[in-house]
Amino acid sequence: MNISFETKSNFTVIHLTGRIDVTNSNDLETELIRLFEDDRYNLLINCAELNYISSSGLRVFLLAQKKVMAAQGDLIICSLQPMIREIFDISGLSTIFKICKSEEEALQKI
Amino acid sequence: MKIQFNMNKSLSLRIAVYVLSFCMLLFLLVLLVFFFFSRKQIEEMTLKNAEIITSKSAMDVERTILPIIRVAQNYKWILENKQQSSAELYEMTRQVVENNPDVIGSAIAFEPNFFEKEGLYFSPYSYRENDSIKSMQLGNASYDYFYMDWYQIPVATGKSGWSEPYHDTGGGNSLMTTYSVPFYKNVNNEKKIAGVITFDLSLNKFTDSVSSLKILETGYATVLSANGTFVTHPKKELIMNQTIFSYASEINNPELREIGRIIQKENSGYVSSTLNGVERMLYFKKLSSSNWSIAVVFPKSEMYLPLHKISIILIVLVCIGLLLLAVIVSKIISRQIIPLRHFAGSAREIAKGNFSNQLPLIKRNDELKDLHNSFEYMQRKLTQYIEDLKQTAIAKEKIESELRIAREIQMGMIPKIFPPFPNLIEIDLYATLHPAKEVGGDLYDFFMLDENHICFAIGDVSGKGVPASLFMAVTRTLLRSVAPDQMTTRGIVNSLNKSLSTNNDSNMFVTFFLGIIELNTGIMTYTNAGHNPPVLIHPNGEVKAFEMTKDIPVGVFETFEYEEKTLRLSDNDKLFLYTDGVTEAENKEEEFYSEKRLITMLSKNYSLTPKDLISVVSGDVALHVNENEQSDDITMLSIVYYGSKR
Repeated sequence: MNISFETKSNFTVIHLTGRIDVTNSNDLETELIRLFEDDRYNLLINCAELNYISSSGLRVFLLAQKKVMAAQGDLIICSLQPMIREIFDISGLSTIFKICKSEEEALQKI
Repeated sequence: MKIQFNMNKSLSLRIAVYVLSFCMLLFLLVLLVFFFFSRKQIEEMTLKNAEIITSKSAMDVERTILPIIRVAQNYKWILENKQQSSAELYEMTRQVVENNPDVIGSAIAFEPNFFEKEGLYFSPYSYRENDSIKSMQLGNASYDYFYMDWYQIPVATGKSGWSEPYHDTGGGNSLMTTYSVPFYKNVNNEKKIAGVITFDLSLNKFTDSVSSLKILETGYATVLSANGTFVTHPKKELIMNQTIFSYASEINNPELREIGRIIQKENSGYVSSTLNGVERMLYFKKLSSSNWSIAVVFPKSEMYLPLHKISIILIVLVCIGLLLLAVIVSKIISRQIIPLRHFAGSAREIAKGNFSNQLPLIKRNDELKDLHNSFEYMQRKLTQYIEDLKQTAIAKEKIESELRIAREIQMGMIPKIFPPFPNLIEIDLYATLHPAKEVGGDLYDFFMLDENHICFAIGDVSGKGVPASLFMAVTRTLLRSVAPDQMTTRGIVNSLNKSLSTNNDSNMFVTFFLGIIELNTGIMTYTNAGHNPPVLIHPNGEVKAFEMTKDIPVGVFETFEYEEKTLRLSDNDKLFLYTDGVTEAENKEEEFYSEKRLITMLSKNYSLTPKDLISVVSGDVALHVNENEQSDDITMLSIVYYGSKR
């Protein structure tokens, strides 16, 4: 897994690449907590390059969602590959997250 | 032991060979230099020696000849200035023979009719015969001496000189030469030739002394007359029969002819040439009193013979020396590296795990001491490291055994007796949970709520390890305690969710499917909290996954309200529930088993009993995964509803 950040307007765009599973979900959690410590609660997670996410990864997403909600920030997930989207749908988590088709669409919504 | 021995041997041998090679090279160089300079020295010495021998022989000859020449000059003066009677003339010849042992005969030969009273021929002659001296008149009609060389040549040239050597025909077979001196008289104030004084010299003594000269092994001396005749030579057949020039043309050797010319022209010198196939050196010297030459000849190779002998002795000695050196060097090195052998042994002992092995004692403060210290350090460090490793292993063992116990407890919570309700005719049920190597968080459960309701569940806790297994255990325990109070799937799941969400700081969750079947009607109510939708298999082979719901996994939001759905099972309808460990089972190429393949598999085997169906799917998943390690728990549960009136 690879994580990179960029800032667009007042959002932090997080690009995830590769696989998120039990071995590296903690790394993602650490990175996200660091953002929260910087008071950055407006997040756009771009999953265009994300090939797989396990339940451990979903747990980190949920954690982020809860923190953002508590801080009245915004969390948008965009560009999900069909298989990842399916995981979100099966688990019902797509009802919890704001999910957009593309980064452009997400940025327009802000 | 053998390997080690060879190693030591080869090391000492190798060093010995290096030392030896260097010594050999050094010796070769020294030998070459020695040889080169010695050769030069020997060459100079030999030539000097030849010169001395030749000069000495020449001097011996001169010593014999000079008195005779003096007498000849004396007689010449007497004959030219005094009037002698014939008796006096006889006496003169007799005296010279008597006083000079080398003179065999002497004559004073006069011009024809010079002594009128003696007639045409007058030549008083005395000669040695045995031990007495006899005199006679030499000339007569049969010995017309005026035409003899010894007389004719001095008269014609007016010069004294030595005749070519000849064999004495008269007295014995001795080699002779004659010294002839012309003398003159004043007749009417005119200097006129009066006759010739001769002394016959035996060359025997001279040739003997020259012949006895030896130079080196086969070197010899030779005497050449003025015109090149061999006066002495080891080859007797050459003496008096050949000149150096005739011999040169006989053996067809132009080089020899050239040497002959040089000898005739020069007073002394060296020449080298190939004679009879051997390269030879020749030193010659001309006698000052005649034009004769003495030459010594010796093969060039013989000059170096002593040098070769010394060289061979030297080489043999050095070879023995080098051999001894090699033996001693290899012995010394062998002894020096004995500790190395011990170190090798120690290393092997250490490899076996015996770290306290005694190291060889090194007293010297050298590289071996360094090695000793390094070895000691290694032993110490290894001991320490192994100790640490043991501790780590023990700690790891402890954790692993605790994990194993956790796993066992977790697995112990899952019902594993099949068929679970042998008395129920309405349903049959089968389930498996194949745990992954790492503790996972899958669960399934089933129990009777009352006589007419069976409750069954399948779930998957997020993540892995002890937290997941703990969460699973809590979920399963809660389920059993909540179910009898709630009796509806919605109620049960809501209650579960509340309990699990409270203080769930780790945000763990569990996807959960819960169903209740009313046995007498086949009505099934269910709540799907974010779990993979189960598959409904009709007895006619129609296979269909449940619709997805919008319910989220349990443990996420405390206040979330779950839905409940209803479905009526027909007789022989079958349910297949699974966790994502099935559809996301990966092979080496990271390809998932996939929902599609699962559906296909279920369609093919729609008629099988729950147990056989799960077994077939398990087999197919295993086939897909092949040798890849199972990464997640694989859990399957299948129920068939036979109907109430079976």
